[in-house]
Amino acid sequence: MKERLRVLASPIAAALASIGIAVGVLLALGHAPLGALEALVRGAGGSPAAWTGTLQKSTPLLLTGLAVALSFRCGVWNIGAEGQLYAGALAATFVATRWLPADGGAWLVAPVLVAGALGGAGFGALAGWLRAARGVSEVISTILLNFVAIQLVAYAIQGPLQEAPRAYPQSDPLPHGAMLPALDRLHLGVPLALIAALVVAFLIDRTAVGFRLRAVGHAPEAARFAGLSPERLGTLALALAGGLAGLAGAVELAGMTGRLYEGLSPGPGYTAIAVALLARLAPLAVIPSALFFGALANGALAMQREAAIPSVATQVVQGIVILLSVGFALGRLSLARERVPSEGEA
Amino acid sequence: MAPGEIHALLGENGAGKSTLMNVLIGLVRPDTGSLCVAGAEVVPGPWSPRAALRSGVAMVHQHSTLVPAMSVPENLCFGAATAPVWFRPARERERVERLAGSFGLDVPVDARVEDLSVGQRQRAEILRALDRGARVLVLDEPTAALTAAETRALFPALARLRDRGVALLFISHKLDEIREIADRVTVLRRGRVEATVSARETSATELGRLMLGHEIPPLARAARVAIEGRPPALALRDLEAPGSREAGRLRGLRLEIFAGEIVGVAGIDGNGQRELEEVLAGVREPVAGEIEVDGRRVRPGVRSLRAAGVAHVSGERERGGLVPGMSVAENLAVKSSYDGGRLFARGLYRRPAARENAIEAIRRFGIDPPDPDRDVATLSGGNAQKVAVARELASGARVLVAVNPTRGLDVGSARFVHEQILALRDAGGAVLLVSTELDEVLALADRVVAMVRGRFFDVARDTDTARLGAILLGETSVGDAA
Repeated sequence: MKERLRVLASPIAAALASIGIAVGVLLALGHAPLGALEALVRGAGGSPAAWTGTLQKSTPLLLTGLAVALSFRCGVWNIGAEGQLYAGALAATFVATRWLPADGGAWLVAPVLVAGALGGAGFGALAGWLRAARGVSEVISTILLNFVAIQLVAYAIQGPLQEAPRAYPQSDPLPHGAMLPALDRLHLGVPLALIAALVVAFLIDRTAVGFRLRAVGHAPEAARFAGLSPERLGTLALALAGGLAGLAGAVELAGMTGRLYEGLSPGPGYTAIAVALLARLAPLAVIPSALFFGALANGALAMQREAAIPSVATQVVQGIVILLSVGFALGRLSLARERVPSEGEA
Repeated sequence: MAPGEIHALLGENGAGKSTLMNVLIGLVRPDTGSLCVAGAEVVPGPWSPRAALRSGVAMVHQHSTLVPAMSVPENLCFGAATAPVWFRPARERERVERLAGSFGLDVPVDARVEDLSVGQRQRAEILRALDRGARVLVLDEPTAALTAAETRALFPALARLRDRGVALLFISHKLDEIREIADRVTVLRRGRVEATVSARETSATELGRLMLGHEIPPLARAARVAIEGRPPALALRDLEAPGSREAGRLRGLRLEIFAGEIVGVAGIDGNGQRELEEVLAGVREPVAGEIEVDGRRVRPGVRSLRAAGVAHVSGERERGGLVPGMSVAENLAVKSSYDGGRLFARGLYRRPAARENAIEAIRRFGIDPPDPDRDVATLSGGNAQKVAVARELASGARVLVAVNPTRGLDVGSARFVHEQILALRDAGGAVLLVSTELDEVLALADRVVAMVRGRFFDVARDTDTARLGAILLGETSVGDAA
């Protein structure tokens, strides 16, 4: 019970501290802080429409957050969710606009989502292969591969995948049947991402593969002596994470934008790291964590719109909240990881 | 403790030595009771590491806490309350030399600490404590990292400190050392003082009894049960493997171990033991030669060796395949996570079954605390090793590769491991015991080979320790030895 209270204490402290600092920043910039914060809260969850927007923004964060949490749990520092998301979106666009019939029915959704997951997984596995075969640190390779993916998308939408009129750097619209079915504006990707969280939680905690991944994540050398291959399992973790991030790209494409263009992802791949850390790498905790970050992004838009706060100031406020919440969460994380020295070592 | 006394503190892992030490140096504030230093009651009162140092209590840590890139005089000034504002090298050097001379603790004053030997660093550490006015020194296993020669050099230095009126609290696992250097011995057991006895008048047996609460009977070794007419349980055939360093390269190892015997491999660290361990654990690929189990060739690799019935216990947790951060139950299961056994039926981790398995192992091997969900990283060394032994023996292995299996363990835990090894042999198992502790090899092994620069040399079992030591150091030629 006490432990539970302590776990809750840090998010609350983070929220209070970020409100305090945000008020200060808004005052310093010459804006009325209370009105602005009210707009932020109302914009994040004050109406059904606000909730819809928050859920829409949370969905790619949930999927990419799961990708980061999964790979970090396996001791793989995957900074490449952004690139894997783009790789997934690119693969999904290719399949949807070049392979599938334009007049296909709703079944088109399935190959589009599968293509997204596979594209991301392949891109993740590439970093995994570099790590396993050549000893390239995945931190470096995944960061660099982000740029590769972004440039690949830029090339594709100005070249092979550009729309038929060739007017704008964007792809053709997806066939109608490939778009995710939606209820109101809530598309199928929302429940899909929630199911993904359950699947990842089950995979890590309950399956033999997840057990091996966790063992390697805790101590690769010990795992090697126990008969596990940190190289192979690390590649698997990167492929699985890439698949989740690629799925996020396909969902964003088929659920929201309908076309591929540059800047499709407003950075969820990087925010995903914050999402995963705030959740302390627990797959189920990624759900509320992604919801929080989605609400923040959505509320910031409302703050800009309704309280006439310039976007720069809203970004400052958003940044402060992210920094403080992750900072508090990391504080907890490091405390949780601090090992009690055993008698033998002391 | 009296001034001018060397007082040894003895106890099993988990008996409370570390806690007591932390109280003395101010890291832990006692709940009740009092502590007096040089006649003044310091606890109850504000007690912190700083306060402890002010009252003259200082600790000499097992691992050096000096700044490696600085010289000894620089280290002594660094962080000292009395350090002068301007560091004058010549003056400080002279001061340190004087101080060192007066206590008979000679240390090089010009060299950087990183270039000093372990023994010199330790003397510098003691000197720093004295320089800060320590009259009570707490020495945490000061001989653990020293070679035999360095230990021999340390003892007269400690005796000189004692003669100068310094009180020394000497923490050690080694009963012989304690009897040699200490005046009195206090034995802790389960957080209580069991007894304080005179070091000269006590015996190793009595100390062992006080520590464990019962007598340690001499290790019972049944006569060797040689099983003839069967292929060797484990055979190495001209095994060669690259080494981390040149001396560790395995150069054509040949060895046959039969069911019902323990073969001891004696050697000094760095002569190929780690490489041999890695090859037999399956994580290092041999470049030539073969491993045979029961006459059949085994492909190198953790899984194939395990499938062939070769178990492995190591003195280092990670090398023993203990995964810190995972629970006792998970660690007992980790090696079957790929063979689809009972605990991983149909690709799922069967948590309830794994916990039951752990509860059984905890009961059978007396793992303490008896909690299957406890992180192995928080277990004492002895209990963590019990988890490893439990896992390896539970697999029904007939061949055990044990490498420094009791390193860092207290007497009771080491005894437990030794008994398990002997029990396996008596039940017809074959054991390869690789150890840098000569006493351990001589006490357990039916046959002994020496490992020098990646090669095996046969040694007669009745070879005495001194002669064996000479062989291992290369002071006696192999021809004489064989």
